[in-house]
Amino acid sequence: MASDIAVQFDGVSARRGGRRVLDDVSLSIRGGEIVALVGRSGSGKTTFLRLINRLMEPDAGEVIVGGRPAREWDPIELRRQTGYVIQDAGLFPHMTVASNIAIVPRLLSWADDRVQARVDELLAMVGLDPGTYRDRWPDQLSGGERQRVGLARALAADQKLLLMDEPFGALDPITKSELHGEFKRLQAALGRTVVLVTHDMAEAFMLADRIAVLSDGKLVACDTPAAVRASPDPRVAALVGPR
Amino acid sequence: MSELVAFIAGHRAEFIARLGEHVILVFASTAIAAAIGIPLGIVAARRPSIAKPIVALANLAQTIPSLALFGFLIPLPFVGGIGTRTALAALTVYAVLPILRGTITGIQGVAAPVIECAVAMGLTPRQILRQVEWPLALPSIVSGLRVAVVIGVGTATIASAIGAGGLGDYIFRGLAMVDSTVILAGAVPAALLALVCDAALALAGRIADPRRRSTPAAAVLAVILIGSTVASVWASGLSGRRDVIVGSKNFTEQIVLGELVAQVMERQGVNVERRFNLGGTAIAHQALISGGIDAYVEYSGTSLTAIFNRPPSTDSSAVYAEIRDRYAALGVTALPRLGFNNTFAMLVRAEDAERMGLKTIGDLNRFAGAKAGFGYEFLERPDGFTGLSAAYGLRLAGQPRTMDLNLIYRAVAAREIDVTAGDATSGQIESQHLVVLDDDRHYFPVYDAVPLVRASVLLQHPTIGEALRRLDGVIAAAEMRRLNYAVDGEKQDPFQVVRAFLDKLGRF
Repeated sequence: MASDIAVQFDGVSARRGGRRVLDDVSLSIRGGEIVALVGRSGSGKTTFLRLINRLMEPDAGEVIVGGRPAREWDPIELRRQTGYVIQDAGLFPHMTVASNIAIVPRLLSWADDRVQARVDELLAMVGLDPGTYRDRWPDQLSGGERQRVGLARALAADQKLLLMDEPFGALDPITKSELHGEFKRLQAALGRTVVLVTHDMAEAFMLADRIAVLSDGKLVACDTPAAVRASPDPRVAALVGPR
Repeated sequence: MSELVAFIAGHRAEFIARLGEHVILVFASTAIAAAIGIPLGIVAARRPSIAKPIVALANLAQTIPSLALFGFLIPLPFVGGIGTRTALAALTVYAVLPILRGTITGIQGVAAPVIECAVAMGLTPRQILRQVEWPLALPSIVSGLRVAVVIGVGTATIASAIGAGGLGDYIFRGLAMVDSTVILAGAVPAALLALVCDAALALAGRIADPRRRSTPAAAVLAVILIGSTVASVWASGLSGRRDVIVGSKNFTEQIVLGELVAQVMERQGVNVERRFNLGGTAIAHQALISGGIDAYVEYSGTSLTAIFNRPPSTDSSAVYAEIRDRYAALGVTALPRLGFNNTFAMLVRAEDAERMGLKTIGDLNRFAGAKAGFGYEFLERPDGFTGLSAAYGLRLAGQPRTMDLNLIYRAVAAREIDVTAGDATSGQIESQHLVVLDDDRHYFPVYDAVPLVRASVLLQHPTIGEALRRLDGVIAAAEMRRLNYAVDGEKQDPFQVVRAFLDKLGRF
């Protein structure tokens, strides 16, 4: 299962507001792999992510998720099986930490005690004391804490696939590196498939198994961090920087 | 202040009934407006292309002056007519905009990333609405409701003009009687009601806020809402079973005459509901024809010209015969004339009349720079100002001012204007030290007071027809002035004044 193809793009193109933002992209992501999508603003990173859980539809090519074409999935079912984390977490301000984490399990009609147990388990997993944080409100949390809760929420129903759009983008450097460490630790234990959009090359190098470089909607490289670092392609080199 | 408390205490049952009507008007119209405005707002929030025209339309409705809107609705089927239904329709029109706005603002104010996450987590559109957008928009919706209710409490006072009752009855009655205590008996409770409703909804908003969800507050609110609704329904039903609805227009004499007709009926053992202070001849007539009221007293000349569009006449019997036939065709019985002719009277200050020797209307041309001011109707009617100017060749300084009929006497006394057209039977003529100029060219037609009753009511309650016929000619002009003065000048309660008059008359 772990080596199966979790997400596959076959010649995918997509438009946004009439502009082509993704151009004939083909890429396979294996189960349990962390792929970082990097590129300048407007290079198509977020579009790539949104095609996976059908927040957008391609206008050419095919996106295959879990062995099935995405267009054949019921979008609601697909999304409930796919964790989603965005910058500043996107927590619901009118719900407590526990309720935020419990959203998808509740949608899936889990029993109450199972939901409670899962919430506490996840809080502990992301390094927050359940007794302290369970009943807090999102605006009572620091940026780092919010991001941890966002991650816990995305993992709540044991989603195998995690889509992350600049999840650490709004954090200060110290918190960010702390969370990077936590994330690596978690990933070692959980082995999820992760598609991580970032504009921070250091983050990509630190977390990803492979780095996909997008430039003007085209996939210009997809390889291990070491190989990307060594790439002679000027579009890649421009992102990676000198050395 | 103590006078106000005494007045309310003295009219306890009536006051509670009026308050109840007021609360029901506001609650019901806000509820209807919420049922329209919230769903509409939710739809509009998603489609800005629809939102713009909808909000523009609601905005436009908001700018229509309330009395105009009431008048506009009266001839319409279903929502129109006289009384509660029309008032509800108008109040609903006003309440929709703030609720609609609050809803649109609330829904659109939900942060985009929150919605994005909701979609990405697999919430269906309905779940997003119920679990995310609705709770987050609720504070804004509640503030829209608060605005609607406060506007509603204020606007509902005007509903009295079309016979919907409420605290506005006191305001209009007080204006008619030039009695500030009575005005305050409507205005002060209305202001307090607005504050209480606003506070109750603020409390509701606090409860709706998930952060401070508190059971005691919810309980308090539930008690307020249920309590006030029950009390209102009970209070508005307090007037009890009624057989006949008696109306009146909105000036003192009309209230006295309405009271007269009502008490004569009551002395026959008939249950009477009073819908006084209807906002003008057209509204009173419409109410009588549509069954909104069963009886009121009209003036023969007014019927002839303003209702039946006939040329004015100075022949009392001919006018009466004509309108009696015309009313009969409408299913309304014109009972015998009460005895006085409330024609227009051109009034000036007594001191001016003495100083300049003003005796007749024609003498006004000697009153250099005299400023005129008239009620709305007098300027419009064919037998009003235009004809008068022609008949006497009047040359007054500038355009006459339009002012409320109830204020003209005081306006003359206060020297805001110098000449006006009042009622010949107004109690304020003496109390404001005014004199009547002689209509020596017999310009003004007759305005004999005629009780009008729906024929069907007379069939059902034959005794009241007989009783009202006994009023034939019992009120001379001097008597009417005295009754008016007792209310206007001596601030006596119209109910007591009429009761004393009937007791003295001794026919009932």
